[in-house]
Amino acid sequence: MPEPSDTSPKERLLRDLRTGLRAGLVTFWELARVMVPAYGITLVLQYVGAIAWLARAARPLMSLLGLPGDAALPLVVGYVLNIYAAVGSMKALHLAPQQIIVLALAILIGHNLIVEGAVLQRSGMNAFAFGALRVVAGLAAAALAHLLMGLF
Amino acid sequence: MGQLLHTFLAGSFSLLLRVFLIVIPIMVVLEVFEGTPAFRRVVRGWAVLVRHVGLSERSAAPTLVGFLFGLAYGGGVIVRDIRRHDLPRRQVFIMSVFLSMVHAIVEDSLVFLALIPFSLMALFWIVVYRIAWAALVTLALTAAAGFLVRRARR
Repeated sequence: MPEPSDTSPKERLLRDLRTGLRAGLVTFWELARVMVPAYGITLVLQYVGAIAWLARAARPLMSLLGLPGDAALPLVVGYVLNIYAAVGSMKALHLAPQQIIVLALAILIGHNLIVEGAVLQRSGMNAFAFGALRVVAGLAAAALAHLLMGLF
Repeated sequence: MGQLLHTFLAGSFSLLLRVFLIVIPIMVVLEVFEGTPAFRRVVRGWAVLVRHVGLSERSAAPTLVGFLFGLAYGGGVIVRDIRRHDLPRRQVFIMSVFLSMVHAIVEDSLVFLALIPFSLMALFWIVVYRIAWAALVTLALTAAAGFLVRRARR
């Protein structure tokens, strides 16, 4: 296709770079604006001991996944913080590879719920509903995997 | 309390730096390559796959960004495309459900795969099973949401 004479490839590249940079800066601002407050809430929750409290409450659920009660801590750490923090607290548990996979599935589906929920909220979705969905669907996926692993 | 504030400031700074260093290149690369035949081929190939969970070709690009780089960056592109292409709410819902089940497929999977001796079984559960689960949940919830919307309209 012949190029229209008023925009050379070089001009078009410059225009795209400018548009991309502008879109990047706008997106950065959008994300920053929701992620920083969400991160603050996360830290306060951790500070007031909400993670330890939730982990105690979640202990009984762990047997459904074939996991020791202590595995509730990395799970809740993942929900409130992120997968890196969850992996850090998983290392102290000495789980078998299959148990690691089951716990990993629950955390991979539900993690960083406050910060990522804030981002979902920006695109018009309900952060609470999506947080609940990820917790429930993550536990269900993990429970099903635990069940299926037992069969083979 | 002072310690908390310090953690907040340092943590926010590294969070923002990380977002900046990822989001700017993604947006510039998207803008420059969006019109090229190679990029369109990749997006069209991806669109053929995600059509099965109800996503249109328009929604394929933001979904691919989220699937590869993470929910936050995918969310950023979703917000951009809602504005630019007026993405229908139903499409935003489907993308959000799918991406909330599986995103950052390489990075997130590797973090956990690194914990155990490598095996095809582990790869299956962490990657294949998770994607299948995401597709299943997306289809089920889209059907449920469609039912509720239709009933509310009646």
